[in-house]
Order: sequence, then structure tokens, then C-alpha cells
Amino acid sequence: MKDTKIEVVFQPHGNRSEFPPGTTIMEAAKKLGVDISSLCGGKGTCGKCKVKVQEGTEGLNPPTERELKHLSQEELQSALRLACETKLTLPSIIFVPERSRIGRQRLQTEGLKVPIKPNPLARKYHVELQPPTLHDAKSDEDRLLQALDEKHGLSGLVVDYELVKNLPIILRDAGWNVSAAIFMNSIIAVESGDTTDRCFGFAVDVGSTKLAGFLMDLNTGKVVAVAARMNPQIPLGEDVLSRITYAMINGPSALNELHQAVVSGINEMIHECCNKANVKTEEIYDLSFVGNTAMQMLFLNLWPQYTALSPYPPVLRRGIDVPASKLGLHSHQRANAHYVPVIGGFVGSDSVADLMAVDMLHSKNFIMDIDIGTNTEIAIGNKDLTMIASCASGPAFEGMEVKYGMRASTGAIEKISIEPDTLETHFRTIEDAKPIGICGSGLIDAPAELLKAGVIDTTGRFSKKIAKETRRVRKTQQGWYEYIIAFKNESGIDTDITITQADIRELQKAKAAMRAGAEILLKRMSRTKDDITKLFVAGAFGNYIDPESARTIGMYPEVPLEKTQFVGNTAGTGSRMCLISKEMREYAEKISSSVRYYELAVDPDFQSEYIKATFLPHKDLNRQPIVAEMLRKLERTE
Amino acid sequence: MGKDKAETIFKKLAKAVVLGDTEVAEEGAQEALTEGISPYDAVIRGLAEGMKTVGEKYEQKEYFLPEMLLSADAMYAGLNILTPHIKSKDKMKGKIVLGVVEGDIHDIGKNIVKTMLTAAGYEVIDLGRDVPAAEFVKKAKAEGAQVIAMSTLMTPTLMSMKSVEDKLDHEGLKDKVKTIIGGGSVSEEWRDNIGSDAFGKDALEAVDKIKVLINSIMAAAEAMKKEEKRENSERHQD
Repeated sequence: MKDTKIEVVFQPHGNRSEFPPGTTIMEAAKKLGVDISSLCGGKGTCGKCKVKVQEGTEGLNPPTERELKHLSQEELQSALRLACETKLTLPSIIFVPERSRIGRQRLQTEGLKVPIKPNPLARKYHVELQPPTLHDAKSDEDRLLQALDEKHGLSGLVVDYELVKNLPIILRDAGWNVSAAIFMNSIIAVESGDTTDRCFGFAVDVGSTKLAGFLMDLNTGKVVAVAARMNPQIPLGEDVLSRITYAMINGPSALNELHQAVVSGINEMIHECCNKANVKTEEIYDLSFVGNTAMQMLFLNLWPQYTALSPYPPVLRRGIDVPASKLGLHSHQRANAHYVPVIGGFVGSDSVADLMAVDMLHSKNFIMDIDIGTNTEIAIGNKDLTMIASCASGPAFEGMEVKYGMRASTGAIEKISIEPDTLETHFRTIEDAKPIGICGSGLIDAPAELLKAGVIDTTGRFSKKIAKETRRVRKTQQGWYEYIIAFKNESGIDTDITITQADIRELQKAKAAMRAGAEILLKRMSRTKDDITKLFVAGAFGNYIDPESARTIGMYPEVPLEKTQFVGNTAGTGSRMCLISKEMREYAEKISSSVRYYELAVDPDFQSEYIKATFLPHKDLNRQPIVAEMLRKLERTE
Repeated sequence: MGKDKAETIFKKLAKAVVLGDTEVAEEGAQEALTEGISPYDAVIRGLAEGMKTVGEKYEQKEYFLPEMLLSADAMYAGLNILTPHIKSKDKMKGKIVLGVVEGDIHDIGKNIVKTMLTAAGYEVIDLGRDVPAAEFVKKAKAEGAQVIAMSTLMTPTLMSMKSVEDKLDHEGLKDKVKTIIGGGSVSEEWRDNIGSDAFGKDALEAVDKIKVLINSIMAAAEAMKKEEKRENSERHQD
């Protein structure tokens, strides 16, 4: 009857299983671990999950309204559907085309290396105890504490109750020759023999999109293994606000689901690192975490509703220490988990970490630091005063809302150059695979190169004149122009890869937000771009951005290239620094309490600065003399 | 004589809006008054026509936010001169209470909708941003508005729209006041979920749908009036 399950097979993966009729293709794929791109988390809005139904088409629901938005007549006729919107009722074979696969994501874990002296809060000490005698029958606990005091000068220590329970057995089994693991002033483990060289910690950058984990030797302060994962919360919400809304609508169990999702990703990284470095998870005694305020709440199970609504007050600003086992982390049963403090609004510990890495608070000179992502944080100042603001640049740099946009992975066009006179176009893809889309760094090159070549003007509009002169420019189905970056015969998805007028508008909006934020902060500090002695650019794909392209489109105030330094994933750097050093945790606390958070949304000038910043590079070319000069030479300005 | 002169001025106003030329818009508005042209016509057939073209260019991605705002400035400049002279009966096209819901402060989109509605001749009461549900309803009642238009960019604030629907329902106003919702996180599905009367995917669609909503309310009001009149005359006959 109706309860018969149907067999669903995915090609080219070959995974197959049985599902109840009515299951969507996306649901089936998820259960089988088949990777289908799901930028919007299955809501039917991104259109990136196109699959071909090779068998079972008769049993499908008619294409939904959302599908019709993303699928052309041709596509529908060749049985292409959106995996998240299509329900299966007959045995089916589904083919996942190259362009809809997530593939191997390029996960950036490298970052600025800042040498600091290790001074970890978790340390191990070795002692050889004298067994009790009639003349010396003090308690086992006192015996241990006294030895630690006599040999290592440690006093005021407490022993965790759970440990006290087994202490007599541990001490005697070890022949009174033990190593004590101490976190702050608490003895969390007593181990047999001298295990002082086995003291490890794990530092995590909890990114909204990517997690990065670093297994570190707390004695040496060195990284012994690295791992990375996409944040497993993504299917529950593409961006942090969707995830928070998911919790708001569904209650504490949904918040717990989000919490467990990210913890599972972190545990996976812990196991991967431990395997690589031959370390046992029980040898991890301290963990440190860095993430924006939303990630802080979802990781620590803090109710996020009110932080998501104006005026966005965080729940907790200061750093917090939580028993790692309470969070479900796979480390020593009494290990500590430290969450680095946040600053304000959604500006979280990732920004604190960033400011630590560039040492803003110790800088005499005036510097600017921009951390680019879906949200971009901009900090400016020096040791006397530092202000920070957050701008929603949107996901355009991650490939969303862009026709052929994609995340950085195999086959993504990451670099584009266009010769101004001939419009000869060159590109480079990740792993030199056939291009299947364009990722963030390519999406910054595109408008820059198109502007230089005169294909678009400073307002971002395609030139009608050029459109007539080249076969690379043509009209899309919707009626606006697009520029062909890679022709069908060069591409890996059997169609031309283009950048459209609509894409350019999205990119303009994204960069305008961060540029406006930077300009407003400068204004409020009564400074100009000429006061900036150094510009640090941090963030997920910061290292891959072409600084000239970024300057050409006016992503940030025009600072000479020699003064610009790309510092990569500083959040990871900061997390590592906090893991191995007590002083760094104190520094983080200082940054958190002294940096001034500035709410851009209430600034009266924000809208006008935003509008001006939508121009490429900026409406006020006086603010971009270098680019203005270049455009004049190319005769691109009026 | 009059017809040609009027047409020329309407074209001048429209072009001023399309080009975002505030000075020419003001010039054209003054001319219309001096020449005795109906100020209402000058708005609808001049400024509003220009704004319609701007809306189409925006939809086509040819115009972007800066151009949109420049054109809006020109339109408002012309309106400032003409509106004081428009007779109140001409203004009866409809009243809309507009705002960004509680918890959200992103209002650029809402401002564009306001511009387009004003261009179309509606009276728009702009409550600004971070507007509590109760205020939407209170103002709509006080002003006798036919439509409440709500906007939000973010997802957590979608619930605020539901609060307005619930309040209207609670006060028995669901057929007197219609609602339309829009914004980056809003969808037809959400509209259906919370029972709003319409969803506008962009400013142009919003204006079109609001027209329909207001016409339906006014038609219903007319029908009721006719019904009352008929009943009254029947009673008198007895």
C-alpha cells in the first residue's frame, strides 16, 4: 500500500537507499551523505541544487513557483529540478551535475603567526610521593598537595570532587609516582608516571561558515595538527540570522540542535587532529573558542532572540570558562572550555582575536583593520582609542545572489583579467580544474577588470556601446547585460560562465556597506585616509583577494599598497594565542572592555555614505586619487 | 493652446525626475502653477510618469540606488511645490501607513517604496523604523488608512509582522485595513503563513498590489453605502 518505501539512487556517487514516498531529493541526499550544494539551506531560494531526474519523473510533483524562478524551459524539459523542492514517489535515479556539487571546499586555516611566550593555564607537574606511614598518616589529598607545594611551589590548589573519589586507587596503582594536571588552581587529573610532556590544548575558530581547529602542545606553544570543516549548522540556516530565527520559532530544543551541530563539527576536528598527531583526546586539558556573537550564543546555548533584534544587546560580553564535558566536547573529562570575550552587538571574539593579532591596542600609530566576511568588521584607532563597527556586506562574496557565484572550491574561477583594448579574457581556477563558477576573489576581480576595460562605467552600468562591439557582451533572459568570462567550450558546466548586470549590482551593494562603514568611522574619529599608517585586511578569503582589484572597486579607503597587509584568518591566530597564554586572555578581556562599539545603523550619515560608496570606486573621486588617475589614463572617466 | 502647453510641462517634469534634476523639477512645478494647469495632473502625469520610468529602469538594473534616490529627490522637490495646491478631494486616492517593523532598522528599501507610492498619488504616513505592532494599528485607525505596509530585511524580525496581523484580527479590523509585506527576508510563503493580504517582491510590485487592495476596500465601502441608501429609501416607502 502507501507504506512501501521507494529506492532512490544517486549518480555519479552510487549511493542508494530506501525512503518513504514524499521525501524530497535533498532530504534523501542528506541522509546518504551525497553532496548537493545547498547555499540557502534547502529553502528553495538559491537555485544551486539543480539535479537531473533520470528515472521516476512521472512521480514528481509539478515544478513549484520557486523552481520556476530558477529553471528555464530548456532545463525543465531535460528533467532538471531543484532537489529541495522536488518530492519523490516512485523508485528514482537522480544525477547530481558537477555544478551542483559542493566538492572539496578550500578551507582557509592559515593566518598571521604571532610569536608569544607560552604561559598556559593548563599545566602538568610531576611528583614522587612518600607513601603513608604510622608517623605520617596524612590524607592522600594532603600528601599530593604538599608534594606539589614542596617540589613546585604550588599552593592554594583544590582537587575536583570526581577526582578525589578515585585518588586513593590512582596514587597506589602508580606507585606514588604521578603527574598532576592543573587548570588554574584546580587539579583536574592525576596520572601515573611522568606525563608532563603530554599536555595538549585545542584552539577553535568557530566561523559561521567554516570551522578551523588547531591542536597545540601547551608546553611548547606549537601547533601539532590542523583541521577544518564547514560549519554543520549550515543546513539549519545559511546565515546566522536564519539559524537564530530557527531557534526562535522552534524553541530551546532547536537551539540545542544548533549547539550540537557545531559541537559535532568541532569533535570531528579534534579526532582528526589527534589521529594526525598521535595524541589521545584525554590529553587535551584546555580548549579555547573564538567566534562572532551569534556563534557564541549558538555554541554555548545562550538564548539568542533578543540579541538578534534592535538594539542587539549581547547576552554575555566577558570571557567564560565552562567544563568542556558540559558542552559535549571530546577532550579530558575535566577539561576546560574557554570562550573568548565579545565586544558588542554582533562584533564578537573573532574581532577581539583579530585586534589581538594586529596588536591594535599597543600601536602608537593610527591603523585600520578590516575583517571581511558576510559581516565585515572595521576597526580603526590605536592604543589611545579604538572604535569598531560591523557592516552587513551580505553573502555576495561567498557566491550567493550571483548567477554563477560559488564558494571557493575546485573549479571556481578565482582570478580574472581582461585586456582593455581587445577584451581578451584570462582566468585561473582553483586546482586548475575546468571552471564551474566564480568565487569571492574572482568576484572582486570581475568588476575591477570590467571597469578598467570600459565594459562598465563608474556607476556600475554596462556600456551599450561596448555591448555592440563584442561578442562577449549580450543580453540575459531577463533583459539586462552580461559579460562572458568563460565560454561554453572552456567551461565545465556546458554553458557560458558570465557576470551579469544584476551580479555587479549585488557586488556594488556588498562593497558599499564596508566602504561606508570605514568612511563613517574615519569621520567620527576626525581622521582621513591619509592618517592611516597601516591597513590590515583579515578574513576568510582575504589572502586571496587581489589588492589592486580591491582598490579599483573601492572596497576600502585608498591606502598605498605598501601600507596594506593581508593577514588571513586572524580569528584562528587569536584563538591559539588565548589557548596558550594567560596574558593573552587578559589582553582579550582588556580589548573587549575598552574598544568602543559603534552602531552604524543609527549614524545619520550612513545612508548617504552608502550611496556614494556604491560607485566604482567611489562617487567622490577625490577620495581615490590613485584609481582616479588610472581611470583618467584609460579614459574611463567623463 | 492649453493642451500642448500642459503636455510640454508634463514631459519636462517627467524628464527631470528621470534625470534626477531637482532644479528643473522645481521649475516645471512652478510653470504648471503659473499656467493654471491642475497641480494634481502635474503630479500624476508629470512627476509620477517619470518615477514609473525610473522604477522600470531600476528593475532592469540599469538604474541603481544612487540614481533612484536622485530621482526621488527631484520628485519630492516638485511635490513640495505642487502638493499644497492640490484640493483635498483629489487626495482621496488612499492612505497608507508604512514602516519597518520592530527590531529592524534597515530602511532604504522602505524609503524607495514610500517614494513610489507618493509618486502614484497616495498619502503615505511613514512611521520610520523599529516600529512596534501596536503603533501600526493605532496610526492606521487614527488616520483612517486603508493599508498597512510593513517591511523587514532580517529573519528574526518576521514575527513582528505576525503581531500586527494578530492585533488587527483582535480588533476586528481585518476587512477595513489591508496589509502588505515586503523586504529581503519576506516571501509569499510568509504572507500565507501569517495571513497578510499581499506580498510585494519589490517596490514596483508593492505599488501595484496596494492599488488593488485600496480599490477593493473603496469598492466595498461604496457597495455598503449603496446598500444603506437602498435600505433607507425602502424604509421611507413604508
